[in-house]
Amino acid sequence: MSKPHYDREHHVKKATGIGDPQCFKGEAGPAKFKVGDKVRVKDLPDIFYNRTQVYTRGAPATVAELVYESPPAEDEAWDNCDNPEWFYSLIFKQTDLWPDYSDTFANDTLETELPERWLEPM
Amino acid sequence: MAEKHKPAPMVDEVSDFEILEVAVRELAIEKGLFSADDHRRWTEYMNTLGPAPAAHLVAKAWLDPEFKKLAVEDGVKASLEVGIDWINSMPTNFGTPSDYCNLRVLEDTPKLKHVVVCTLCSCYPRPILGQSPEWYRTPNYRRRLVRWPRQVLAEFGLQLPADVEIRVEDSNQKSRFVVLPVRPEGTEGWSEDQLAEIATRDCLIGVALPKPGVTANAKLPVHPAVNPVDHDH
Repeated sequence: MSKPHYDREHHVKKATGIGDPQCFKGEAGPAKFKVGDKVRVKDLPDIFYNRTQVYTRGAPATVAELVYESPPAEDEAWDNCDNPEWFYSLIFKQTDLWPDYSDTFANDTLETELPERWLEPM
Repeated sequence: MAEKHKPAPMVDEVSDFEILEVAVRELAIEKGLFSADDHRRWTEYMNTLGPAPAAHLVAKAWLDPEFKKLAVEDGVKASLEVGIDWINSMPTNFGTPSDYCNLRVLEDTPKLKHVVVCTLCSCYPRPILGQSPEWYRTPNYRRRLVRWPRQVLAEFGLQLPADVEIRVEDSNQKSRFVVLPVRPEGTEGWSEDQLAEIATRDCLIGVALPKPGVTANAKLPVHPAVNPVDHDH
């Protein structure tokens, strides 16, 4: 019996000369949110791996930019590039993230990027 | 008596992650994915990278509004003009030493100050800014900057008035960030090279503001100790 062949370089072949995340451009389909939309970060269970900071869970945010299309980190960690989705740059108010953040500095914000599956409309 | 004051031998602490890196690297070499010499050459190349290209990107953006527009819209394309190709960089011809190739240039205004952190690890725009400083990788900076940005910036010597919005950029996915600070007063008529000198690494991370006369390579005064300690070693 021959050994099953698995192409361990499929990702690098796809990205060479194009770049990652640029190589996933056009693969995510229509974006669910647009710039200026108010969204809330879902509090999904942490199974194995993801890159959604715990401090953002359940917090409201505003979409600042649609940054790129890419498989989310939780898929890519397992070499699964089949379901790219839109990534959004989100702006949070610091007072929405931290209960003890001083009202004197209520203007302060935090920006970070999350894939579409973590967001719900508000 | 002198014996008692001999310093204890230095012991290098090795973290679990360093052990993991060595194990994975040795397995990869054994499997023939790359050779020990490839790895050494790669490390040597990585250590040649520094913040000079990013400083020139900022200086160019200060001088040329068209270039500033390009930098803010497409950081990867703008990087080409300062000699950094994120996508076809040597020696791998792949978008390393950053694993990802999305550079975003964050434009400060007099009322908005950006500062960059990576709370989940220590993502850093290495192709254009070189290796990250040690403090950038520490859990102390990473966990405190997002929650107490003003206090942490004050520790760096940067105190900003309440009407300036501080925007912490948590670099958690595939974008990498450099800050484009406001061009300081007193730099009218300066050349690109002069401006690049004051756009130091810390200004590009966002924990400092550029100032005329403050450069990374400036000579600092050395003061003799007031109560010098005698060393017998």
